[in-house]
Amino acid sequence: MKACMRDRLLILSVFVVASCGLAYELIAGALASYLLGDSVLQFSSIIGCYLFAMGVGSHLSQYVKDERVLDTFVEIELLVALLGGLSASALFAVFAWSGESFRLTLYALVFLTGAMVGMEIPLVMRLLHQREQRFAELVSRVLTFDYLGALAVSLLFPIVLAPRLGLARSALLFGLSNVAVALWTCRVFRAELLRPTVQYLRSLLVLLVLGGGFIAADELTRWNEKAIYGDDVIHAETTPYQRLVLTRWKGDLRLYINGNLQFSSRDEHRYHEALVHPVLGALPWARRVLILGGGDGLAAREVLKYPQVQQVTLVDLDPAMTGLFSRSAPLLALNGGSLRNPRLRVVNDDAARWLEQHAEVFDAIIVDFPDPSSFALGKLYSVPLYRLLSRHLADNGLAVVQSTSPYHAPRSYWSINATLRAAGLATTPYHAYVPSFGEWGFIIAAHRPGYTPPQAYRVPLKFLDREATRQMFFFPPDMQPWRVEPNQLNDQRLVHYFEQDWSQVIR
Amino acid sequence: MQRRDFLRTAAALAGLPLLAGCQQLLGWGLPVDVLRPGMAAGHRLRDAATLPPPRSERRVDTVIVGSGVAGLFAGWRLAREGYRDFVLLNGPEPDGNAAAGAFDGWRYPTGAHYLPLPSPESAHVRTLLAEMGVIEAGSDSLRPTFDERVLVHAPDERLWRDGQWQDGLLPRGLGAADDAQQQRFLLHVKQLQLQHGADGRRVFTVPTALASQDPAWRALDRQSFASWLAAHGYTAPGLLWYLDYCCRDDYGSTLAHTSAWAGLHYFAARGGHAANAEDGAVLTWPDGLNPLLRHMRGRIGPDKQLDGAAWRIRQHGKQVQVDYIDATGAQRLIARRVIVATPLHVAWHLLPQLPALGFERAHLPPRAPWLVGNVLLARFPAEPASQPLAWDNVVYGSRSLGYVVATHQLIRAALPERTVFTTYHAFADAPPAATRPWLAAASADALFEQATADLYAVYGPRLRRHMLAARLTVRAHAMASPQPGFLANPGLAALRTADGPILFAHADLSGLSLFEEAAWWGDVAAQRVLAA
Repeated sequence: MKACMRDRLLILSVFVVASCGLAYELIAGALASYLLGDSVLQFSSIIGCYLFAMGVGSHLSQYVKDERVLDTFVEIELLVALLGGLSASALFAVFAWSGESFRLTLYALVFLTGAMVGMEIPLVMRLLHQREQRFAELVSRVLTFDYLGALAVSLLFPIVLAPRLGLARSALLFGLSNVAVALWTCRVFRAELLRPTVQYLRSLLVLLVLGGGFIAADELTRWNEKAIYGDDVIHAETTPYQRLVLTRWKGDLRLYINGNLQFSSRDEHRYHEALVHPVLGALPWARRVLILGGGDGLAAREVLKYPQVQQVTLVDLDPAMTGLFSRSAPLLALNGGSLRNPRLRVVNDDAARWLEQHAEVFDAIIVDFPDPSSFALGKLYSVPLYRLLSRHLADNGLAVVQSTSPYHAPRSYWSINATLRAAGLATTPYHAYVPSFGEWGFIIAAHRPGYTPPQAYRVPLKFLDREATRQMFFFPPDMQPWRVEPNQLNDQRLVHYFEQDWSQVIR
Repeated sequence: MQRRDFLRTAAALAGLPLLAGCQQLLGWGLPVDVLRPGMAAGHRLRDAATLPPPRSERRVDTVIVGSGVAGLFAGWRLAREGYRDFVLLNGPEPDGNAAAGAFDGWRYPTGAHYLPLPSPESAHVRTLLAEMGVIEAGSDSLRPTFDERVLVHAPDERLWRDGQWQDGLLPRGLGAADDAQQQRFLLHVKQLQLQHGADGRRVFTVPTALASQDPAWRALDRQSFASWLAAHGYTAPGLLWYLDYCCRDDYGSTLAHTSAWAGLHYFAARGGHAANAEDGAVLTWPDGLNPLLRHMRGRIGPDKQLDGAAWRIRQHGKQVQVDYIDATGAQRLIARRVIVATPLHVAWHLLPQLPALGFERAHLPPRAPWLVGNVLLARFPAEPASQPLAWDNVVYGSRSLGYVVATHQLIRAALPERTVFTTYHAFADAPPAATRPWLAAASADALFEQATADLYAVYGPRLRRHMLAARLTVRAHAMASPQPGFLANPGLAALRTADGPILFAHADLSGLSLFEEAAWWGDVAAQRVLAA
């Protein structure tokens, strides 16, 4: 091959090298935004770190001896290929297996890749300069291809690669491109390399690793998410409000919100039957039902079993949640298409704000809020909220409140009971065993005392019958009421109770 | 390299300040409004231009001049007692220091933002709160039940020190000596809460008018709080910072310029309790105290509230003329009685007869300038899970007063989609006369920098990315500062007892700017009108 042809190949390698360099930067930024949020911060800090590292690399390139330039170039290509190519998979694994060191790993990886990439271009320029290229022409050509490569990737990455291949595979693909440059340098410049065979073998080894990674990337990602959730992830979505992850393992469908289990399809019927039927079974006249929370449509499925119910209003904040549960086939099978039922109206609004701003009155209200694990959520278990609730409850209507566990979190459970009573409501506590959660508690609230549990149900149920219902309202000696204070917004005792309760459970 | 230039431009477009020290860039693209309520009208009055003859003349039994807390409370009391023949002149600064604003429905205070639990002595305030439904039961008892939506929700306060938040405002971890002095001081003021004078009255009460007149205790007013603290062995830096913060927060003055009586009053006068909250809880609304004023305006009725700025108040025999300017020109009200519910430095220019009533220019209380910043945020900044955002957030060692969160009292299943942070700064470190020219001339950027100093100290420049708009309220004569000797001000004593055709109602009469004091003097003036 002629010398001028070789030089052209070197210039072409600048194009590939530049593409790969920008690609790793974009992949790291996208991954960090995806896992940590705040994309402006992530992109800015990663670009900053990367550019700085490139400067460091350029600076270091002067210490490479003239006779070793070509060998070093090949070695650096291989290092970049490994670091950059495996970056996305490695970062994902670190996030899944040890969340704490994620940022450190992220910036270390970005810095190392940047420093390597920063050495590439000066080395290529020195190679060309050694070959007696005119300096002005050399600089112009190298920078032109450098810039073109960057442009190509900045368009290709968001439009084609990220959506088609995903982050892990895109990174591996660019790693493979780096290996290709190394291999092809080994071949073309065989005579000029100090240790051609060693470099050749090294390149093949890296090719094997990255090629294997590329084939196994899906498996790798699944394995990582499995580490986070224990099961196969069939849907993952970050909405403006929360992160929804749906997993499946041997027919068990599970929903996690921000990493907390919401239900398992194995036993959710226990939770939802216990939540809905003690109220609706006792209200044969119920026409209008309100569900607060419950965007999965599972409580709604139970409510819609009653033919006399004419309208169900379901208020859930997140349109992504209600959207997912009215589209996805396995979820529709689970909730019986309840969210698409013409008798049901979905309102995507903050439940507390909706209660404040509307005046409708309901025969039954089902409150399925998240546990009072923070000051913000604790406000949903307060006298003002329960008073608001009671204004929406028909005179002879019943409300039921998901109230944490009377067994695992007795202070919280009985504090919610005391809070409902402080709001002037008559309460009837009960509980049910849900294997995924343990012993779980609910409280029925009414304007007047005198609630009696249903003796029988007219709708088909899997868990509840006369005897199971009777047991729910019986509190054995190890679940007797605790004397605790109601939740006051000024000090939010409930949030402290909740912390105290669970710190004693989780050892 | 070109690629680097490209990326640098991209970073700049993304809002990342790459160069340190480019403070003026922070205001880029952020709409900043500056409000100086009452300034133009006040300075016109001070510069004493002549007024054209009045276009109209209207007779009314009583005129209330000014619509801050004192004026509205007087009007509310009159209306509540069924007295109908009065009007209230809004003035150029409606709602006074309890004013509020809104960014597209997100309400915020531009002045006072909380009310301590009213003690039994503040029966007048309790009556108002009970009428509003804020006191639900036991208005006359030691521990009334309050509407929990209004009782400040937990977490209420936190302090930023050494890059971390701690619970409460008293700095902790500054050493055993500091902790011990803090405990001793708290115990000391707890005893003073129960302290009675020789006349059998509590030494420190709100309203101050009901406090003991025992000269042995009132002698505290002759020294500064700083010297009293030194004399009692309170020297720990953490405690002194906290007490200085409290004086700037309530009085706009430093320890050295605050009367020892007033400094102790801040801690010892607050004896309110609630059946459903801890002692020391406060009442607050998204827009500060403004809902109280809106309620009083509702009771007074819109037909009795006139827009317009008073220009001159003159007594002619048994009648009082109130000349004012509104949108159409000069107008005149002729009344049997007038309640002057303006700050006294405004009354000084309105009332040529003030010296005849025993009030000289030298009796004007010194007034502290304030800057209130309201920043609309597109979302909440990140907070540590262990110390979530509190209602009141203060920076240790800062000369500003921290920030409160307007959406704190909302009950929501998720964080509200927006919020407003309200920052406070009292200019206590320089003489007010030196600060005012700067406040009048300062650019929006300079004021913004001052108003957001604490926010930037806590969140860094990245908070700028959450900001959608800012509104800065300059109150150059915000509040009376109780300097040593303020209790013995003979001019104030004269105006407090004035019961002729011209009555006075303002927190200035107490020498302290508190809602309860303003309301007290409004109530006293209204009772005098009703009595005659």
